[in-house]
Amino acid sequence: MARFLLKRFALGLITLVLVSMIVFAVAQLLPGNLARNVLGPFATPASVAQLNHQLGVDRPIYTQYADWISKFIQGNLGNSLEYQVSVSSLLGPALLNSLKLAAVAFALVVPLSIVGGVFAALRRGRISDRVITLTGLSLTAVPEFVSAIMLILVFGLLLKLLPVSAAAPPGAGFFTTIKYLLLSAMALVMVLFGYIARMARAGTIEALEADYTRTAFLKGIPTRTVLFRHVLRNSLLPTIAVIATQTGYLIGGLVVIETLFNYNGIGHRILIAAQNKDVTLLQSGVLVIAIVYLVATLIADILYSVLNPRIRHATAE
Amino acid sequence: MDREARRKLEEYRRSEAGPFENTLIDEFLTGEFDRRELIRRATVLGMSVPVVGAVLAVAGEPAPAFAARARAAAGSSRLRVAIIPPPAALIEPHTWLDQGGLETGGICGEFLTRVVNSKTLMPELALSWSTNKEASIWTFKLRPNVKFHTGQTMTADDVVATWKRLASPGSQALSAVGTYLHPGGVQKVDDMTVAFHLNQPVSNFPFLVSSTTYQAIILPANYVLGTFTKTPQCTGAFMITKYSPGVGATYERFSGWWGGTAPLAGVDVTYYTAAAAADAALLSGSIDLIGQVQVTTDRALLNNPNVQIFKAHGATHREMPMRVDANNPFSDYRVRQAVALTLDRPAIVKTLFSGFADVGNDTPFAPVYGLTNSVPQRKKNIAMAKQLMAAAGHAKGFSMTLTTETTGEIPQLAQIVKQAVAAIGINLTLNIESATAYFNGTQTGPPKGWGNTPWLNAPINITDWGSRAVPNVYLVSALSTGGVWNAAHYANKKFDALVHKYLSSPSFKDQSAAAVAMSNILLHDTPVVFPYFYYYLAAGSKSVKGYSADALGEVYLSKTSLG
Repeated sequence: MARFLLKRFALGLITLVLVSMIVFAVAQLLPGNLARNVLGPFATPASVAQLNHQLGVDRPIYTQYADWISKFIQGNLGNSLEYQVSVSSLLGPALLNSLKLAAVAFALVVPLSIVGGVFAALRRGRISDRVITLTGLSLTAVPEFVSAIMLILVFGLLLKLLPVSAAAPPGAGFFTTIKYLLLSAMALVMVLFGYIARMARAGTIEALEADYTRTAFLKGIPTRTVLFRHVLRNSLLPTIAVIATQTGYLIGGLVVIETLFNYNGIGHRILIAAQNKDVTLLQSGVLVIAIVYLVATLIADILYSVLNPRIRHATAE
Repeated sequence: MDREARRKLEEYRRSEAGPFENTLIDEFLTGEFDRRELIRRATVLGMSVPVVGAVLAVAGEPAPAFAARARAAAGSSRLRVAIIPPPAALIEPHTWLDQGGLETGGICGEFLTRVVNSKTLMPELALSWSTNKEASIWTFKLRPNVKFHTGQTMTADDVVATWKRLASPGSQALSAVGTYLHPGGVQKVDDMTVAFHLNQPVSNFPFLVSSTTYQAIILPANYVLGTFTKTPQCTGAFMITKYSPGVGATYERFSGWWGGTAPLAGVDVTYYTAAAAADAALLSGSIDLIGQVQVTTDRALLNNPNVQIFKAHGATHREMPMRVDANNPFSDYRVRQAVALTLDRPAIVKTLFSGFADVGNDTPFAPVYGLTNSVPQRKKNIAMAKQLMAAAGHAKGFSMTLTTETTGEIPQLAQIVKQAVAAIGINLTLNIESATAYFNGTQTGPPKGWGNTPWLNAPINITDWGSRAVPNVYLVSALSTGGVWNAAHYANKKFDALVHKYLSSPSFKDQSAAAVAMSNILLHDTPVVFPYFYYYLAAGSKSVKGYSADALGEVYLSKTSLG
């Protein structure tokens, strides 16, 4: 297993290096001159050249990349070109906010979709199975901006049950924060429920049809024991992998949800950086999200290998 | 007739009034304009209330009611304001170019003068002003005992330092004043008096030091660049105490404000990037006011009984310049006229603004200025447009790319234009870029050219323009020969001379005549299509009292309360 994880870790590092190169290269492709963008149209060519020199963008591109990535590794993300404050002071709170939203969404969607998927598998072919499967599929097919607006209309404006903004007031307590995050988390549940539930359903059906399950039933083991000891343990392996891959999306990919609920998450922050051509903020933000994706995937691999004996014992073989 | 008033007026005319004041009084008394215009113009010249009252009394009209609007008592309420979009850059007044920046800074900042109700000038940090007989030197007496949020007392040194920065390279205010004012022209007369020595006469200069030049917030002489949001240091009713880029800002009531005590205890601003999110927040009661709403994106608010719409009838507009100097069919004025004749402007106003706009007549003299009412309105006329195309040798039409930006309703307007000109055989390809890309590149201005930025170099484009209380910027920067924002690259000496005449003329009659003459030239040459001038709209809950929308988008809250 150690070899498997080491391999995964090495692959993750190589991926990060590649991502950093791509991010840096793409940022260079954005139109216009950095200093001109910061100083505005009436700045003199001399002051534009001076700022470009200060920013170091008049150096060869590989020198700029090496400088940026070495500072990034040391934790120095530089200053935002537009806001003139440190990038870490902008990304830090945004990342924390995204983690909060992801945590609430996870706490809702994981148990709900696993229970739904397993229940559907156990009731395969019946109305309840079809209802769960079709509802999940339909919700997944609806774009998140549509489901988010529907939730805002119903729970925020019509019933006035939940706040329409995901950002709790400063100094809000735990439960108030959860209350503010609930509507946006529900929108995410609608997006992810169908996907995770389907995986859980498929895995459970496969496990229910496996020889070891049939043997367990034939041995006279109670259904409840068979389910928890034999079926779920095997059926949820692919589901865990799916959930892990969604972690990155939940933290860094919620641009639409964060925008509609006016939430200062990292996806929203990066969107504004791209709109304002704030290259330093954009580059670091995308790389931070890539790191989050890779860490989430690595954790999933560890979890998967712990739960899967074939991988756990691979080293011994 | 009031003999005492006549005696006072004659005394004023003999001893104090210059040619500008005397021309104004003569024109009013001979019926060139109405009482409202007199009051508006008198404030520009810095004429006192008693003098204006005497003029009105001589004409047999009641005295002006300049009484301040009753203000709600100081309370503990805080106003929650949504600003869309967030400031795009560092909050640094002299470099502002974006709506989010000017709204954020405008809550705490003040100007020498302020424009209210779209075109009426009111004293703010300047108490009075006067000019020499050529209107080339303007002298402003400052309001005494004005305190900055730092506790310092405002003096002429602060105003001079602020305005020298505004008139220097790198300042975005150069678009408004760069033609007339150099840093050396801003001079201290005494501790409470500042004089502006202009390069050329400008009869409406007090407007250019007003809130219409939104970068011109007065700051202390010892202001350090980059500290605007770190230390409260303006003079307004509210001081900024917390600022989170892209997230929000907090303001507290300033107890030392020269205007007394503001009714609100504070203001909490939240930045939004999506209109739908701000609309939902207003409708759910999470916020009280949205600084700017648009018909295209905020229709849900317009007819909602729980929402009040604040409307400012201004000169905000879109310009569609066509390059007159490029090697393409637009270099022929008949083709440009033909393009303008394909547009059904009343229908456009109805479609895009639900009527919250005035129809444009291809001149920058918006109806709100009231100067060109006699100029016939250009109307859709496809038959005439086709004739013009044929006369220009383009009967079969041609293909061209229209470049524009994803701002407000502009993409929809571009689609409408594309469909309209198809009727005369012009096949327009739309190149709709982000605002960042559209305004990117150099734009150093003539004589070295207009750089490489798309918005000043595309053969035909559509650009957003903010409202101005006076049309100087449009005339000088967008239409005069060599203007820094002259996207059509238009050059007409006769037009330039009329601009100079308009700017320097003390007489309403002469200004109006120059405006009409300029409009007729523009209607013939059609370097730029002005399809409409739309109203500035803000939206608030029914509990917001004492708020007025500003045509430029300033969020001025010193008289606002929550009831």
